[in-house]
Amino acid sequence: MCGVLIGSRADPDESDAVRDARPVPNVAADPRTHYELDPEATLAEIEAAEAAGDDVVGFYHSHPRGPPEPSDTDRRQATWPGYVYCIVVPGSDEDEEFVVRAWRWTGEAFESLTVEVVDD
Amino acid sequence: MDVTVEVVGEGEETLAVDDDATYAELARAAGYSPHEVSVLVDGTPVPEDGTVTAERVTLLRLIKGG
Repeated sequence: MCGVLIGSRADPDESDAVRDARPVPNVAADPRTHYELDPEATLAEIEAAEAAGDDVVGFYHSHPRGPPEPSDTDRRQATWPGYVYCIVVPGSDEDEEFVVRAWRWTGEAFESLTVEVVDD
Repeated sequence: MDVTVEVVGEGEETLAVDDDATYAELARAAGYSPHEVSVLVDGTPVPEDGTVTAERVTLLRLIKGG
């Protein structure tokens, strides 16, 4: 799974807020091991968010296994400096259905971010 | 011809390209490899080897990995 994170982007020393995760089809040639957001659907989601006064905070994708950390492929192919790349992996037990971690692409590396769930 | 190029999330600029320029060449003129962007006209991707006919083009940096 993969998609666009919608919400509010903040100044670098403040927290971004994600209010919606919009799924986008994965059009990678081998979707079992790679992801690529469908460009047409991605652009439609971005334009809809901006029309509603929201920001694109970043993007999310899942890894079927392994730690919720960017892969070498993720590093090689990252193209949105300053934006959040969120990675979801299956949890390790029944109490943890999945694990979510977030990273900001600096243009050279992924910096780990703190993910906090806040009630409305 | 002059083409207005919007790079999603970055901004837009107007570039002068040859009349027979391709969308791949337009992407390069905007500073991007054709392999790292999708070129869209009116919200629909266009072939990178197609000749530029649109006066306004959107470049979407690809979001991909594995």
